Amino acid sequence: MSVKYTPVQWNRNKWLYDGVMLIGVVLFLYVFLFVSPEILSHEFPINPQVHNARAFGAAAFVMLTVILCIGPLARIDRRFLPLLYNRRHFGVMTTFVAITHAGFIIDWYFAFSSSNKFEALLFANTSYTQLAGFPFEVFGVFSLLTLLLLAVTSHDFWMKFLTPPVWKRLHSFIYLAYISLVAHVSFGILQDQQNHTVTVIFIGGALCVAGLHAYAAWLDLRKGDKPGTEKDGWIEVCKTSDIENGFAKIRVLPGGDRVAVFNQDGKLSAISNACAHQNGPLGEGKIIDCLVTCPWHGFQYNVTNGRSPAPFTEMVPTYNLRLSGDSIEVQTQANPPGTYVEPVPLPDAKPQEVMA
Amino acid sequence: MNEAEAIFLFAKIWGAIGACVALIFLTIGIERIDEDADGAYVFRPLLIPGILLIWPLVLWRWYILADGKDEWSSRYKPRRTAHHWIAFAMPVAIILVLVLGLSQRQIWPADFVPQQIAPAAQVSQ
Repeated sequence: MSVKYTPVQWNRNKWLYDGVMLIGVVLFLYVFLFVSPEILSHEFPINPQVHNARAFGAAAFVMLTVILCIGPLARIDRRFLPLLYNRRHFGVMTTFVAITHAGFIIDWYFAFSSSNKFEALLFANTSYTQLAGFPFEVFGVFSLLTLLLLAVTSHDFWMKFLTPPVWKRLHSFIYLAYISLVAHVSFGILQDQQNHTVTVIFIGGALCVAGLHAYAAWLDLRKGDKPGTEKDGWIEVCKTSDIENGFAKIRVLPGGDRVAVFNQDGKLSAISNACAHQNGPLGEGKIIDCLVTCPWHGFQYNVTNGRSPAPFTEMVPTYNLRLSGDSIEVQTQANPPGTYVEPVPLPDAKPQEVMA
Repeated sequence: MNEAEAIFLFAKIWGAIGACVALIFLTIGIERIDEDADGAYVFRPLLIPGILLIWPLVLWRWYILADGKDEWSSRYKPRRTAHHWIAFAMPVAIILVLVLGLSQRQIWPADFVPQQIAPAAQVSQ
């Protein structure tokens, strides 16, 4: 969270995250380049330029594969949530690794043309009408441009400026970029791969991303947030006994928005389930010291007014609540962000719970 | 001019317009539409590459925010419902691409004679 923008917001966890990531990348490159050339089909003589290009290309593929596994893993098992915390830095570093790969390729395969080397990249192979020998370079160019787009719009300013939903949609291009990357490898180096260690890593990684996303989406369809039925502008959320102290129940409103209804020491409050930062699921967070913490990046909000604690300025909409018998109902129309709503006491809340 | 040269000319023009937008937005516009940017200057150069790439989107959002047309509710629309079709379509696409790629390999069977599948590359001049 920031009051004024800074170039990069560092904290101990981010330093640790980035340090581990950097060590991983260096180790990968070292193993690829120096330790096991024979299992990577490098027993044939290739020049250092091509060797480096392959190393950085393989590293970029593995990094993007890991990045795309983090999201579904975090949805399947909350223990993976810490990996989500600084995924943006992971993405930016992947972009730098991919640019390095492209640099080695262009400066070797296209630099000796009498034409501009970037133009040569585009016209060297124009067999777009056939699968065999398809110009796989274009898939790589698309993936690289997409990674570049996401990296240069990764600062928090862009999220606030574009709004989190638009920013998230823009960054959903990462899925297209990954498919394009798989095509880049499939129609590129895979066509000439003689030793299958890399083939197994590549196909295994791609299938891992595919399987995890399908499984996480299937789980979400089965056990995900349920839509409520509207009646006179209100929907039933759950029974009064259903919400554990310190936690929330999430319901999907008729318009598609999600509301999170929290039980804070026997008193009910409702705020938007979408965090103001990246629309993370606030309802999956726990209340600590009267504040709910977003499980994605740690943004905090007071559930009674939807405001982050001073000096931070983030706000989320709040919702009106009422009790109908033993049911908790929420008004489908949200209040403007930061609007205080008097908490509704649970009828069976013990006095000490309310006092606590 | 061939297609590749045309694409790069377009990219240069796109970037030049983006540079003009970046210059005006980062010196005049940003403080008027975002109070958190008021007095914060060090981070602004980081925004230049983004503006070069998506300057039409920047102009559109700048207009919306400066004109007071930004609706607060639009900031809290979940996208997880839309995410479902991506989560199912992407695995299908990945498997399709893998199968297509593997089907084009020319090393099966081992005695397969490689074929010239395209004429030599064209030149730009």
